Amino acid sequence: MKLSILFFAVGLILVLLQTTLLHLLPLGPIVPDFVLVLCVYWGLYHPTVGAVLASFLLGYSVDVVSSPILGLNAFAMSMVFLVVHLSSRSIWLHDPMASAIVVLLASLVKGAALALLSAIFLSVESFWIGASRYIIMEALIAAALAPIVFALLRRGQSYVERFRVTA
Amino acid sequence: MFAFLRKNQIILSSCFCLLLSLYILNAHARGQLKNDPIGPILLWLLRPMQLGTHAVTGWFSDVQKEFGTLSGFKTENERLRNRVQQLEAERNKLLEIEATNRRLQQLLDFRAQLPPGSVTATIIANSASTWFQSCLLDKGSSDGVGKGMAAVTPLGVVGQVISTAARSAKVLLITDPNSGVDVLVQRTRARGIVSGSLEQKTVMKYVKRSEDIQVGDRLITTGLDGVFPKGLMVGTVTKVQKQNLGLFQYIELVPAVSLSQTEEVLVVKVETNQTKN
Repeated sequence: MKLSILFFAVGLILVLLQTTLLHLLPLGPIVPDFVLVLCVYWGLYHPTVGAVLASFLLGYSVDVVSSPILGLNAFAMSMVFLVVHLSSRSIWLHDPMASAIVVLLASLVKGAALALLSAIFLSVESFWIGASRYIIMEALIAAALAPIVFALLRRGQSYVERFRVTA
Repeated sequence: MFAFLRKNQIILSSCFCLLLSLYILNAHARGQLKNDPIGPILLWLLRPMQLGTHAVTGWFSDVQKEFGTLSGFKTENERLRNRVQQLEAERNKLLEIEATNRRLQQLLDFRAQLPPGSVTATIIANSASTWFQSCLLDKGSSDGVGKGMAAVTPLGVVGQVISTAARSAKVLLITDPNSGVDVLVQRTRARGIVSGSLEQKTVMKYVKRSEDIQVGDRLITTGLDGVFPKGLMVGTVTKVQKQNLGLFQYIELVPAVSLSQTEEVLVVKVETNQTKN
């Protein structure tokens, strides 16, 4: 539980980064989705109820600071966590390429969920054209970042667990 | 029951979160969600960190902008440099056109003062030999240019047409040793013959020692040789030397027309009494 709280705090920092520093990157309107990568990591390596709630809350946080309507990202992140968790039993992840592919697919799932919900609850002209472009670009960027983020999270987790053991 | 819940706690909690999200989504979309319980807490947590990060990102952004501005300055500088070069070239072209226009206008005005039948021609080539001073015009016999006609400009005399072809004509310049222009000193009316020399100097010959010639005196055509119209500027005296022996003075002059800077000439036929008769 404490690890989940710690990870949630990390998630909040990632939300903070996504709303501030990451906008300085020359990626146009695309912001690297570290929160998604974190949710995928939880789904693969830390599947707990705390991680589920953390994913939901992080998605909700993104909605609070960004979305025109609450619940969009909360639903998307929860869906991502569930899909990844269900798939994790069949996935053998031992190299960065595999984690990148998983994140890519998870990003597509998130994009599809957001697109579907936006189509139902929001009315945007020429939505699908822009949405499909963003989904693909976001997925590619998230996949590119995944190995680095995974390595950092794994290191952080092992450090925390070592700290807990010594304590 | 509990075992089932325990075994599938993650899936069940995920499904619960999904349903909760849909509920919130639906309520918010319908405007039924008046009070958001979680949002204000999250914002309260995020706000101080966002303010701090905003200050840092502001600094980063300023640095980025300055760098971008500098890069932009460099690009803009390059663009403006190219544009300046382009405009300079255009300006030179326009200045050239203006100068040509002025010259041609002067020629046109000058032409009005000359006998009718004059032809405007452009110098297209210069002499290939240092022994002879001549030039080629782009007009010939088919354009009305004939042997013996005078080539002049508003500034003065250039030379005499010595041979023609259908579409070109050769002009012997006054600086050539073989040329001869009948001139008189505007001030004293002393007469002489202007010719070139192999020393690359233009001289006035056959001026008596008794004639009063001074440096700065202007030399004009007499019109008596039947080639050049009367009163055209030939040159200005730059040196006068009276030798101890001999009948004549040694006079050097600078031609009124700078032949290296002349591009267009008027080819004129002077009507003498003989031709009139």
